Amino acid sequence: MSVESNSMFAPLGACVVAAPAVLLAVLGLAALGGRRLTESAVNRLTQAAVILGLAAALGVLALMLHLDTRHVTLELGEWVSLPQEHFHFTVKFVFDRLSVPFVVLSYVLCGTIGAFANSYLHRDPGFNRFFAFYAIFLLGMVVSSLAGTIETLFAGWELVGLSSALLVAFFHERPSPVRNGLRVWSVYRVADAAFLIAAVALHHATGAGDFDGLMGADPWPEGHAALSPGQALWIGLLLLVAAAGKSALVPFSGWLPRAMEGPTPSSAVFYGALSVHLGAFLLLRVSPVLEASAWLSVAVVGLGLITAVFAAAASRVQTDIKSALAFASLTQIGIIVVEIGLGLRYLALVHIIGHACLRTLQFLRAPTLLHDLDTLENAIGEHLPQVPGFWERVLPVPVRLWLYRLVLERGYLDGGLNECVVRPFVRLFRWFDRLERRWTDFLARQPSRDSDHVPPPTRFENW
Amino acid sequence: MHTSATCDRLRSAEGDGQERLDQLRNAIEHAAHLLPAQGPITVFIHHNTLHALEDLPFTQAVAQAARTYGCQPYLSEDRYREELSRGRIRTEDLFAVLLDDLGEEADRLIGFLGTRFHVRLSMLQYPLRLAPTAELKWLVAEADALLKFRDDAPAEVRQRTIEQTRHWVMRDLRNGRRPHGGGKSSPESRARAALAELSPRFRLSTAETWNEARWEAFCLHALWRVCQQGVHGVRSFGPPAGPGVRHRDALLAAGGEDSDRLVDELLIRFCAAFLDQGLANWALPGREAGFYRAFCRLYGQRGGPPERWLRGLRREIARGEAAGFGPLESIEESLELLGVSNSDQDEYLSATLLALRGWAGMLWQMEVRGDRVAHAAPRGSLVEFVAVRLILERLALAHVGRESLGYTGPLAGLAQAARARTAPAESVSIEQRTFLVFQLAQVLGWTPADLFRLSKDEWSRLVEELETFSSLERRRVFHVAYERHYRDQTLDAITIRARRPAARPARPRFQAIFCIDEREESFRRHLEERAGDVETFGAAGFFAVPMYYRGIGDAHFVPLCPVVIRPRHYVRETVVAPLEDLHRRRARTRRALGAAWHQVHVGSRSFTAGALLAALVGPLATFPLVARILFPRLTARLRRLAGELIRPPTGTRLQLERIAESPGPAADQSGFRVDEMAESVERLLREIGLTSRFARLIVVAGHGSSSLNNPHGSAYNCGACGGSRGGPNARAFALMANDSRVRQRLAERGLSLPDETVFLGAYHNTCNDSVSYLDLDRLPASHAAEFEEFRRDLDIARELNAHERCRRFESAPLALSGEDALRHVERRAEDLAQPRPECGHATNALCVVGRRARTRGLFLDRRAFLASYDPTQDDGRHTLLTRILAAVVPVCAGISLEYYFSYVDPEGWGCGTKLPHNIVALLGVMDGAASDLRPGLPWQMVEIHEPLRPIFLVETTPVAMHELLDRNADLGRLFRNGWAHLATLDPDAPEIHVFQDGRFERHEPALVDLPEVESSSAWYRGWRDHLGCALVSKGLAPAREPMPRGRERVA
Repeated sequence: MSVESNSMFAPLGACVVAAPAVLLAVLGLAALGGRRLTESAVNRLTQAAVILGLAAALGVLALMLHLDTRHVTLELGEWVSLPQEHFHFTVKFVFDRLSVPFVVLSYVLCGTIGAFANSYLHRDPGFNRFFAFYAIFLLGMVVSSLAGTIETLFAGWELVGLSSALLVAFFHERPSPVRNGLRVWSVYRVADAAFLIAAVALHHATGAGDFDGLMGADPWPEGHAALSPGQALWIGLLLLVAAAGKSALVPFSGWLPRAMEGPTPSSAVFYGALSVHLGAFLLLRVSPVLEASAWLSVAVVGLGLITAVFAAAASRVQTDIKSALAFASLTQIGIIVVEIGLGLRYLALVHIIGHACLRTLQFLRAPTLLHDLDTLENAIGEHLPQVPGFWERVLPVPVRLWLYRLVLERGYLDGGLNECVVRPFVRLFRWFDRLERRWTDFLARQPSRDSDHVPPPTRFENW
Repeated sequence: MHTSATCDRLRSAEGDGQERLDQLRNAIEHAAHLLPAQGPITVFIHHNTLHALEDLPFTQAVAQAARTYGCQPYLSEDRYREELSRGRIRTEDLFAVLLDDLGEEADRLIGFLGTRFHVRLSMLQYPLRLAPTAELKWLVAEADALLKFRDDAPAEVRQRTIEQTRHWVMRDLRNGRRPHGGGKSSPESRARAALAELSPRFRLSTAETWNEARWEAFCLHALWRVCQQGVHGVRSFGPPAGPGVRHRDALLAAGGEDSDRLVDELLIRFCAAFLDQGLANWALPGREAGFYRAFCRLYGQRGGPPERWLRGLRREIARGEAAGFGPLESIEESLELLGVSNSDQDEYLSATLLALRGWAGMLWQMEVRGDRVAHAAPRGSLVEFVAVRLILERLALAHVGRESLGYTGPLAGLAQAARARTAPAESVSIEQRTFLVFQLAQVLGWTPADLFRLSKDEWSRLVEELETFSSLERRRVFHVAYERHYRDQTLDAITIRARRPAARPARPRFQAIFCIDEREESFRRHLEERAGDVETFGAAGFFAVPMYYRGIGDAHFVPLCPVVIRPRHYVRETVVAPLEDLHRRRARTRRALGAAWHQVHVGSRSFTAGALLAALVGPLATFPLVARILFPRLTARLRRLAGELIRPPTGTRLQLERIAESPGPAADQSGFRVDEMAESVERLLREIGLTSRFARLIVVAGHGSSSLNNPHGSAYNCGACGGSRGGPNARAFALMANDSRVRQRLAERGLSLPDETVFLGAYHNTCNDSVSYLDLDRLPASHAAEFEEFRRDLDIARELNAHERCRRFESAPLALSGEDALRHVERRAEDLAQPRPECGHATNALCVVGRRARTRGLFLDRRAFLASYDPTQDDGRHTLLTRILAAVVPVCAGISLEYYFSYVDPEGWGCGTKLPHNIVALLGVMDGAASDLRPGLPWQMVEIHEPLRPIFLVETTPVAMHELLDRNADLGRLFRNGWAHLATLDPDAPEIHVFQDGRFERHEPALVDLPEVESSSAWYRGWRDHLGCALVSKGLAPAREPMPRGRERVA
């Protein structure tokens, strides 16, 4: 790589990351400072950031094609370095065949959604809040797409998780968005914990979180993991849990339809298009690890297959358009995960991109469903046929009923998690609480909790 | 003997049982009338949200509904005060309403503090806050509530209060006894005793050294103290807070979880699956068996949901089946297990129904009006729903009771147990009552001295006054004042307009008949301004042609008439003979493409096809995605161009004349007999008073609206066509009126149309302001020139109309040109991202039934429904007026009241913001992932509305109107109960009488004159908010025949 081209990569690459960061800083600081920007100012800022970022990303792509390089890194310095512990922590961005398409996709879809949301949320009291979350999301997507170390990826991953949970709970005046937002957040926490342990383990195994250190020097997707099969299996399984949480694979699928609480454009971009693919992206990024362990690949394929089959069946019985689309998305993500497990990396990448675009369009058009179906009925000239699928015809009635209930109840996944994970967890902590109360009561020699005696709030509607 | 007695007893027990079950069924079906009455969202029919309570006077009904549904009856007090400070509510209106309200009582004094009127007025003007007792204690002890007067206390009142208190202290308190009188119980001695306990800061001996701030603080401390003493021991006048009747309410109050959340989550899913009209690919198995059976079959199997609370479900279902329970028996048992007494039963059942009222209401609609959908619900579904709900509720209650209260006893005792654990609901505390008087004293300038002088009786009266003039009452007064301002302003304007001549053009160049819709008001006005010799009329937009219609490209017949009419006639559109081949070809292509597209639609959600689509064509979706969002108008044009290739050919005919004897959906049964046509035509022409001075060209324009990404699209269409588009009605009417045989029949009935008069149908799209002409190829060549001229005028009116509409859209700059305005509204109709394609009926407030000549040239700001009616042509029994009002009033009042309620409580009565809406079962929308079905209007639709009850102004005499109200029970009920205002405009004089308390009273206009402008745009430009009326000189008809004092005789 020549020096001058390298010097052009740096500003362009920095632009790709800086554009959303500046957008977030401006929108966030304005909100913190209590200054309410006008809708048109927010719109112009967003547009500028997206166009700048997208142009820079395309510039990098053009330059890479021109110079025929497949791997460009951009280092923002070493933040922590403990040589004797073999630990160092760098912020590093990578432009390669995986990250560039992904970052371009993020920009295109986010830009379109930004334009859409600008008129869709016009005059909504939460307009500025929406765009602040949007900026967090965009930054998160860009950082995770380009991340060159597992810590950087984690940072982007967290930003995406945060903005997603906040957007699910966007209409925080009603209880159910907040409840569901919290649910999404909890599932993400589990995924994050797995991710974090995987990152630590990776450091432990290889001394650094850099993907190129981990996968070898070859550009994606040709790397080879410098891990033993045993290490690869454990780290890979942890990463698989992380990906499953983020991409709503079984058994975490319950949160995906619940996430449809936010405004239509946020459901489109977050759960239809970008956010749910992040798990698959993670698996793609670490795909050399999968190669290192056959068992791991089997696990990935199995999980993807189960998810896809379950989601395809669930999608057939959903009676509201957003849940139907959510499960349809999940079907494809399951298939994408299978492809990754089988090592079909380019196919998986193309599948992700195509699926994201298609589903975004479908989500954005969800409210026009009645109109579309009417048009179709008029073209066909009769009520649309509701043809039962193959399995729905051949299975014996009791099995059919059983299966129908299973998928109508969304595979009992939420209930199962509630009973098997949440309940024991809550019981344990309630037990701790009782223990603590006994202690404090004992020490205070009287009931020690004032909060037990707070009367319910009085309501003053008639005043 | 013995056996027969047993049999009898058994039989009678059986009979009792049956009676009991019938009674349960009746109770449920009776409660069903409280459920929202909205049908499927695809045919949105506006109706009064509180239709069920129309038997009550408006104010009583909204108060009752507020309790029953937990929704707001009026806007918030803060909102009204905002309107007061902005001048939208005038103080004199408040005066007038209060005086009306109190009558003789207005002048009654409360102690020496002022009249009741005075006290109430201040309570309206100054917000009285109330807070929990703990907060109040904090406010008094820690914050500056006792140090500084409230901010909004007028400065001079504050000054005077402090000054007088100071004098009082120095003169009467500090100096001991008065010269004469005053024993131990004198106010002063009481005051001294009371104030002695104040903090040492206020020792009276040091009073001379106090500075201003300390005097203020003293004054407030003294006030607080005296108020506290005063309210002590006075009985409470506020409404007692009744606890909810359901166990769930008691549990919730006891801090338990909401058991409804558990039940609803499952029930929403099941209701949606049961009612689904085809959204899911796999329909609920066994739904033909009915709600209860389908539920039992589905959830009665092994291996059910793992949730703890549902563990007993299978057992319950099996038990019910073993006992041979039907839904009613199951309900009976559930009620028994829940310990619901017979006297509570009705209330319990209706509260149970209302807990998930959107879904329950839709179920009921599907049951009673199943003719409107593909999959109806069988009779009895609502009862079965209640049965299922109660089973689930029992399980959920037992679970929540166990988990949060540790209660494991019988369910019947659960509510009792929960109440035992709840801290008793706090009644109004002494601090709270003190605080009310205390706040009022500050703004009214009541000094401690005044208050110490009050007797206990007077205190009691004061507290009663405050507590009975509750928030609900205050808001009612505000609301009436709010309405009064608009009413006076508008009626004044119409009176002033009515003083001007009201003449029909002697030789009208064109005539145009529009729908009464208030969105056509501006369109008509602009057309009239454009051409002084154009005459416009307003008629309910189905133009007296009620029919089931099936267009050439439609799959089904659609009823095109008001929802109260069930049409008898069917009309099909067919293609003209030479184009039949083309039509067949295109229909085949459309069918093939439609089927293919449907496959894509379904396939994109499936396993393999979805994968292929996503991977292969997915990336291509970027193009339509980006194009449709960034360039909606251009994309729409391209799509239309492409659509040209497969669209049904434009050369079509209505199959309007029937061959077969009886009407029906078959091809030869389509249409009307000539007699029936003549009847329709005569009916309409007579109703709108168009029986003479016919122009050569008469255009009949129906209307509708088109928009994207809008589940509520149907609500923007013509209300008089049952939420569909009214073009076919206009077309059919024009064809009928052009038929020479029809004209002959009409002539026989004394209504002769000149041969050179030609009718032309048209369709106005109120969203993009386009107008298309129907059957233009049938227009005789002799009229081509006239048509061109008309089209030119109308095109300009379209532009002006779009321009006037754009002032309401914040996203359209105010300085838009007419052409750009048109482009702007076109873009709105095609924009996927546009939640407000048009404003719909928002801002409607008035309905004028009378000659257009009386209101022509008056700027009514797109707020008035305009129905044409000529009182001079009516008979002594007011046959025409009765007919018009019977059609117009329910439609307009329905629209207006639905907007009213959806605005005052957008979450409660309306369906909230559109942004998270999610179409479910093809029947309605939910909020987000799963919620109750949301009937009503979305906030984006009503956002600029002013919630007013509609005013109906009818051009007739009060006497005639009285007769009419007596004869027509529905109208009488609506107006007598105050759901809408009624006024009459004298046909012969510029006089308006307003209907109030069962009497018509003359309206005395306060305004002398109206602003007069040259054109509408000169009045509205540069302004986004509502506008008052103005005279538009261009629109005032050329006064060739000035109206004398007497009546205008029509030739």
